[in-house]
Amino acid sequence: MLNEKGMRSSLQVAPLSIHKTRSASSLAASADTVDSQITPPATPNEPQDNYVTSIANPVFHNFLRALYPFHPDYVASESTVTLPLSAGDIVLVHSIHTNGWADGTQLADGSRGWLPTNYCAAYNPEEMSCLLKALLNFWDLMRSTTLNDSEIFGNQEFMKGIIAGVRYLLERADCLTKESPLLQRNDRLRRSRKSLLSELTSLVKTSKRLQDAQRMPDNNDDDGINEMVDDMILKAFRIITKGVDFLDLLEEDRSMRLPTLTIVTTVPEETAIPPTPPADAVASLDPQQQCSAAAETRIAEHEHLSRPASFAPDNAAVGPEPRNDRLSAGYLQEGAETRRLSQNSLRQTNRLSSTISHRVSLAGIPSSARPHNLVSERLNTCHDVFLSHLGSFIGRLQLHAHSRPSLAVAVRQSATSGGDLLVVVDVVCAHSPIGIEAVEQARAAMYQQIRDLVSAARDVLNSAEPGMEDEAIVPHDNGRLLCAATGCVKATGESVAKTRLLIERIGDFEYDFGTGSLGILAEDFGLSDLGDVPEERPEHRRADLASIAESTVSETPTASTATSVTDSAETRSRSVSVDKPLPDLPRPDSPAVEERPQSPPDASSASAVSSVSSLRPDLPPLPKISTTSLPADDYDPAHPSATQEDAEYSSFRSETLTATSAGSARTYLSRDSESSLPSQTSTRATTPDATQAPKTQPSLSSLSSSQAPTEDDEIETKLLEKTYVHELVFNKEGQMTGGTLPALVERLTAHGSTPDALFVSTFYLTFRLFCTPVSLTEALIHRFDYVGDAPHVAAPVRLRTYNVFKGWLESHWRDESDREALPLIRDFAEHKLAAVLPGPGQRLLELADKVSVADGTLVPRLVSSMAKTAASVTLAPADAPLPSPSITRSQTNALTSWKNGGSPPSVLDFDPLEIARQLTLMQMTIFCSITPDELLGAKWTKDKTGTETPNVKAMSTFSTSLTNMVVETILQHDEVKKRAVAIKAWIKIANQCSLLHNYDALTAIVCALTAASIQRLKMTWDLVSVKRKEMLKSLEAIVHVSSNYKALRAHLHDRVPPCLPFVGMFLTDLTFVDIGNPATKTTSTGLTVINFDKHMRTAKCIAELLRFQIPYRLAEVQDLQDLLSAQMEQAQEKEKAVANAQAAQFRKSKMLEPGDVQLQQLRTPLDGPSGGMFSWMRSGNASNAPANQI
Amino acid sequence: MPKYSHQPCREFNVVVLGAGGVGKSCLTAQFVHNEWIESYDPTIEDSYRTQVSVDGRQVVLEILDTAGTEQFVAMRDLYMKSGQGFLLVFSISSKASFDELEGLRDDIIRIKDDEDIPIVIVGNKADLEDQRAVDRARAFSLSQRWKAPYYEASARTRTNVDEAFTHLCRQLLQREDGPDDGPAGPSRPDDPTSRRRRRRRRKEKCPIL
Repeated sequence: MLNEKGMRSSLQVAPLSIHKTRSASSLAASADTVDSQITPPATPNEPQDNYVTSIANPVFHNFLRALYPFHPDYVASESTVTLPLSAGDIVLVHSIHTNGWADGTQLADGSRGWLPTNYCAAYNPEEMSCLLKALLNFWDLMRSTTLNDSEIFGNQEFMKGIIAGVRYLLERADCLTKESPLLQRNDRLRRSRKSLLSELTSLVKTSKRLQDAQRMPDNNDDDGINEMVDDMILKAFRIITKGVDFLDLLEEDRSMRLPTLTIVTTVPEETAIPPTPPADAVASLDPQQQCSAAAETRIAEHEHLSRPASFAPDNAAVGPEPRNDRLSAGYLQEGAETRRLSQNSLRQTNRLSSTISHRVSLAGIPSSARPHNLVSERLNTCHDVFLSHLGSFIGRLQLHAHSRPSLAVAVRQSATSGGDLLVVVDVVCAHSPIGIEAVEQARAAMYQQIRDLVSAARDVLNSAEPGMEDEAIVPHDNGRLLCAATGCVKATGESVAKTRLLIERIGDFEYDFGTGSLGILAEDFGLSDLGDVPEERPEHRRADLASIAESTVSETPTASTATSVTDSAETRSRSVSVDKPLPDLPRPDSPAVEERPQSPPDASSASAVSSVSSLRPDLPPLPKISTTSLPADDYDPAHPSATQEDAEYSSFRSETLTATSAGSARTYLSRDSESSLPSQTSTRATTPDATQAPKTQPSLSSLSSSQAPTEDDEIETKLLEKTYVHELVFNKEGQMTGGTLPALVERLTAHGSTPDALFVSTFYLTFRLFCTPVSLTEALIHRFDYVGDAPHVAAPVRLRTYNVFKGWLESHWRDESDREALPLIRDFAEHKLAAVLPGPGQRLLELADKVSVADGTLVPRLVSSMAKTAASVTLAPADAPLPSPSITRSQTNALTSWKNGGSPPSVLDFDPLEIARQLTLMQMTIFCSITPDELLGAKWTKDKTGTETPNVKAMSTFSTSLTNMVVETILQHDEVKKRAVAIKAWIKIANQCSLLHNYDALTAIVCALTAASIQRLKMTWDLVSVKRKEMLKSLEAIVHVSSNYKALRAHLHDRVPPCLPFVGMFLTDLTFVDIGNPATKTTSTGLTVINFDKHMRTAKCIAELLRFQIPYRLAEVQDLQDLLSAQMEQAQEKEKAVANAQAAQFRKSKMLEPGDVQLQQLRTPLDGPSGGMFSWMRSGNASNAPANQI
Repeated sequence: MPKYSHQPCREFNVVVLGAGGVGKSCLTAQFVHNEWIESYDPTIEDSYRTQVSVDGRQVVLEILDTAGTEQFVAMRDLYMKSGQGFLLVFSISSKASFDELEGLRDDIIRIKDDEDIPIVIVGNKADLEDQRAVDRARAFSLSQRWKAPYYEASARTRTNVDEAFTHLCRQLLQREDGPDDGPAGPSRPDDPTSRRRRRRRRKEKCPIL
């Protein structure tokens, strides 16, 4: 009776059985590619291998549309809250429980509750994709707890997405303007469009009101703001439902125009469902609940389901359903909920949990009263408990306060709570086949650490002699226990962090962990040896571990990994998923009642096998295709395996509708803003040319529509603005992380708000990395052109466009690469710009002439744009006297005589402070000349000659020569004592550098003093005092490379200039930002955009470096600098003379102190006479330093 | 009880070395970067730490890759000193990068004062077979001479990246387990005969203490 032609493909699918066309091998990277939606088999008859490949990469559907009405009318437990659905309702999904129930918000009225996913199909038609995505962003932003409200509402960014989404929908429908022929012809469509727009108007108005409210200086009316935010969310929801209505009408219109199609369908609007706040969102759904009586009239064959738009006639036939008494009884006044709909009352900083928490429709239930059913919460709780046990254990160890019994208790507590935590980790792993390898590894490490702790404790306890049980633990044992315990802390931290990442990835989900401690793992950790812990679980756990090992080892084929994980997951999770079966789909004539296969008691059998066939017997229970009550044994809280549950296999059961559909599968999980459902029909979501929007002359009929309220007109105008906003990508914190060039340019020239300074400076700094100067020029000109369609904003936008050009030419022009864009810019200035804005046109033309002849930038780059202002404020006032140089008369004389051709004085004769100062001044001069351009695109690594990056090159040359000089001033002495004096002097200089915050010189000197050729001089070091060695050690710790320069970063963090950071660290950071982040990213709609996040990171690194480009205020001692330069130059020449300076130094070192090394590592003979090589240094008079000063 | 249960923290420092332009940092980035992490921030403490499973044992690797600082020649000593195992990378499309390995190894042995320091040789850019300038036989003969495993890898296609690092870990673990030659008696720290053993012991220290 239905014609399938002309229907959207997204409706042509059975619930959650979307056809998969990609091969398994390409799954890894396909999360947001169009064809990769993977779901349970569409029909039970599909071959098994298809089934296997289709489980590998679940896709979470953000939006579901009800195919059938769902109005449970049985008396269920008071604590159950289900969400009544009418066919056609749209639901925003928050999470999906393992048993197939989803926690969702009904967009029609904003009520939240549980709904059976088998009653629904994924909803994301291409026309709506932008709007739906915008709603998700909107929702995330409104719920954001990391941003403060004024930040969110200050710019109306969040509104732009919604408006662009509506525009996109109308554009795709050819209904952008009122005059569209389609609207002229179809009055219902026109009315629907109007209602959609008035909803949009209302939202815009509210958001403006909110903005105003925020701006009021002393606004403490949080409740008022919360109300407004709630109101906005509801309005945004309504926009979606109106949009869906509109699209339905459009589909109808389209199909009506097909000659053979006769059916007229309507989608009854379901707007008045009162909210049904769950009394307890986390309570189990009653297992005996059955679907409503409405089901009886339905025929739900698979073929039927897969038909497009099948919900419509069904719904018409069914009519309104009686409401469930229980639900209305449980209804609490909305007003009682003072908390913002969207925001966690506790203002948690943990975004993950706040994102998924079930707060929205909970009428006033304090979050603390709810059990920790969300897996992220459980993870946090278990982690905390475990850490607190370990913490008190460690604390007591350090106090040596453990008696043997208390040790046993403490270890047992720790291990048990650790076991609980592992359970949570396992649950998460079992939940998703993707990306679990890292977690599994961390988990295994943590498991091992706990074992180690227990075995350490056991050894300690067992080693006790009889009768000494109450003695305190000897300190010797303490060390081992301490190490084991801290190892636990560390491994746990990693494991939890990885798990959290995974949860972020797959989305949070519900999981019933049962009550109290699960107490497993005890025997695995060997706890029983500690005494009175009974053996709790003999077999299951081992099997579990085996399966983890298996899944960790088999890394190669995606499918097989997924399969083995599935196996273990299923084994671990069986009983929970049987607890709350989905209601049957409405169907009167059930062919058979299929008995659910009973789980074998020995779980290991399943987990050990990773073959496909083993999946079947262990599948989660299938829904019964019958309307009879489920057998009582389907739900048994006391099910023995319930206590063993340590994982959750969450799946949409493949609720296919025939009795033979035994195949279970996994799909979906929870919402992650990045993994959204690609539309089946989506193509590149570019905005069609402006010309595509028909602009017909006002007709008579349009006169009537002009009676619409003026606000609607305002929206109409807004919609007519061409925009690329939907081609921007935001992260969950609301920061823009990517976009197409037109979208970025639009943002750069936005009319509503001043562009963000960081964005602008990043754009100028890095644009050559993602587009050519010509393409940027073209994009700017395009922006200049298309804004003409929106006259009321054209003027400011065009001025901004001019300003972008101006800023580019004045301060960011690089003639060699940008020259090719000049003719375009000239032409633009002369014709287009001058025609609209004659003055700026003329100025741009002048600028264009200047840059082609100018050397360097016309106007110095604003340092403030690179985050320098804060630093410069703190500079010492310019008129403050410089500290006088610490240099004696005789030293000055020695320098003068050297200048006049005498022998050079030894560097080490001078005050270490003065040497450090002059080194710092010399380095700072180079450092301050580093330009941002030198630091882009890892240019300095490719620039062999140093012409492009002269200053970066000069920094590294200086640093290297300094190191060489230090080494040679030490090795030049044949006498042990003199070498020791030199070492001591350099340690002092290094210390002064550190006090001056010159970390570049510090690094270079430490490098020399810790070089192999110096370190091996044992006799020399024996003469250096312990105090100096300690000093060196602490200096070394500052610049040590371990943990990614952790110590050095800490020193640089918030350091007020003057300060000279170690440039090498920034160079490594920049290199890895460049290498580690892709140039582009693909959006959920399949659009490839510039990964602007990468460039923001680059700019951030560079800004951090430039922050320190502020000279020291120290007096120059030119002669001393000359001396240092000369000596470094000599060291540098020496380096060039030999192939490997370090090896040569090492050979020299071996000659001085041969040591007792038997290995003869040096292959090449010493080049040149040994004395001659270093003779230049000997001419100095370092020998007059008395040895007793060492 | 397994013999490694007394070594709760198996953590190794691995240094990646090679001439500029051989793509060694791509190898590192590939290895430490979870591809499903949206955005890679190399400035945080854990940026170069990763956990691998070697023959069922968990090992934490801290990778030191001084990409971008090749011009700071004198720094290399410092970097090498902190390494317990080394990944020497050349590009199969560059003969010069292959020839540099010899010098690198000499430096490593000099600085670590250890002939048996674990090394894995990696011929990167294996996907550029048509530009090959170092034939396999040459690389393998070097591999045999040094008794160091050789992998041809491609950071671009993520071929053999994990394998090379894992093999290095395996070497490090074997070295740590070692032929158990009885408890190491107290020996003078500078006694060269005990040096190697001492190095092994040192790793048992818990790195977070």
